[in-house]
Amino acid sequence: MATDPVPQIEEAIGLWTGVQCPNEAGRRGLEDFCALIKEFEALRGTMVFEDEPATFEAALRAEAEPEA
Amino acid sequence: MSDLALLSVTEAADAFAKGEATAEAMVRACLARIDAFDAEVNSVVRLDREEALAAAAAQDKARAAGAALGPLAGVPMMHKDMYYRAGRVSTCGSAIRRDFVPSVTATVLRRLDAAGAIDMGTLNMAEFAQNPTGHNAHHGDCHNPWNLPYCTGGSSSGSGAGVAARFFAAALGSDTGGSIRLPASICGVTGIKGTQTRVPRTGVMPLSFSMDNVGPLTRTARDSARIMGVISGKDPLDPTSAPEPVPDYEAALTDDLRGLSVAVPREWFFESADPIVVATFEAALEVLKSRGATVTRVSCSSLRAIGTYVAVVSRVEAATIHANWMREHPGDYSVHLSGRLYGGYAIPGTHYLEALSRRGPLLRQFCAEAFAGHHIVATPTLRMRVPTLAETDIDADPEANWARHMAVSANTRPFNYLGLPTVSIPCGFDDRGLPVGMQITARPFAEARALMVADAFQRDTDWHARVPAL
Repeated sequence: MATDPVPQIEEAIGLWTGVQCPNEAGRRGLEDFCALIKEFEALRGTMVFEDEPATFEAALRAEAEPEA
Repeated sequence: MSDLALLSVTEAADAFAKGEATAEAMVRACLARIDAFDAEVNSVVRLDREEALAAAAAQDKARAAGAALGPLAGVPMMHKDMYYRAGRVSTCGSAIRRDFVPSVTATVLRRLDAAGAIDMGTLNMAEFAQNPTGHNAHHGDCHNPWNLPYCTGGSSSGSGAGVAARFFAAALGSDTGGSIRLPASICGVTGIKGTQTRVPRTGVMPLSFSMDNVGPLTRTARDSARIMGVISGKDPLDPTSAPEPVPDYEAALTDDLRGLSVAVPREWFFESADPIVVATFEAALEVLKSRGATVTRVSCSSLRAIGTYVAVVSRVEAATIHANWMREHPGDYSVHLSGRLYGGYAIPGTHYLEALSRRGPLLRQFCAEAFAGHHIVATPTLRMRVPTLAETDIDADPEANWARHMAVSANTRPFNYLGLPTVSIPCGFDDRGLPVGMQITARPFAEARALMVADAFQRDTDWHARVPAL
């Protein structure tokens, strides 16, 4: 990542939520986001148009053990 | 038995039903053990001594009168300090809720009460159930009864430590990323999280509503089966609770593993695993094989994606419900918790929804890969040996301890995202005398299958029956 994204992320959080960075631990946590962003990059294209949260409960029932 | 505090749930209930022990005597035995040893372990937050003795006396009176007894009649229990009982302080392990008095009683506590269990008070836990080691800056850290400088696992720290120490027969914990299974594994007891939605959450402190689970920590799988039979099932007050009928979990403990096929994933669960943990786990598989089970190594291609998505869901949901306190008094949280919550506000809504939307397809994919021709999935509960409190204290030394702290829950988190029922049972001890745990995961709503395998394992081993020397 070319520039340090942490200051921008802090600013966005403040704007959206009114929550301020509480301490160094919070700032360090944002630094980990570069890794999380890369993980999401690796997953791009896997979600399909029809996916939605409700499919989880349907899957729970569909995958149940027949005699359970 | 000379010390009634050593009785398991089913032993205590049976002794009470047969008139071999009074509920009052069992409660007094537990209180004596707490008085003797909890100053070192620090598992108890609130001890309702007089209320417990009164409840026990009521059970004794009912039995003497010939009343029908519930399946947990006379059994002493305590619960993680996040199960609301109307009129009783529930701190949720925090300073923010140090004076919080709920006006409702959790459905699971009502069900335990109706079954005759004795509630002796509340237990230590990670602050707002949000760390996997059990550290707590407000109530003080809970200590592992097997070796006091070692962590208990969290977030249900007092539940794991107290059951292991024989302070009570069972305790409720909660599990959003492993918070029942981790203290169960680390303290050498049995713990189960059911299928997502199996146990209602009414009157239970939320953490991440998509992945929160209620469940027991006990000495044995049979004990867990009895409690799950009491607390599971549809609750009209919890619209998310599953309507599926609850089977007789104890009747399913048939001790028959012939034809059972066990899948062991090659990926994820053994990455950087400690050799002693792996060797202990492999020895446990041999016990299952000796009873007629077969073990097959399988590939599960979805675990990396699951590892990414599960962190997003829990962080965003936790950050959302804590937003008011994070705005108004963030300094009332421990440093690591406010820091962790803060990051949740940075995750885009699109990514949160993607993580939730992929849950169904990834569950189907995992089941297709792991359960194709197999009945259960077995994995180590932790990849590492039990760490010390100092080695995982991220408030004291975040640079040195962060990675180790987060690695504690690496093997438990995937099953919260997948919503699958999972039991952790003790399967041995490491070279420092601390417990090692094995996870047994079944298909959705097949808690009975997981408990049956756990019970069969415990008939041939005595890891669950060992008592720490305090």
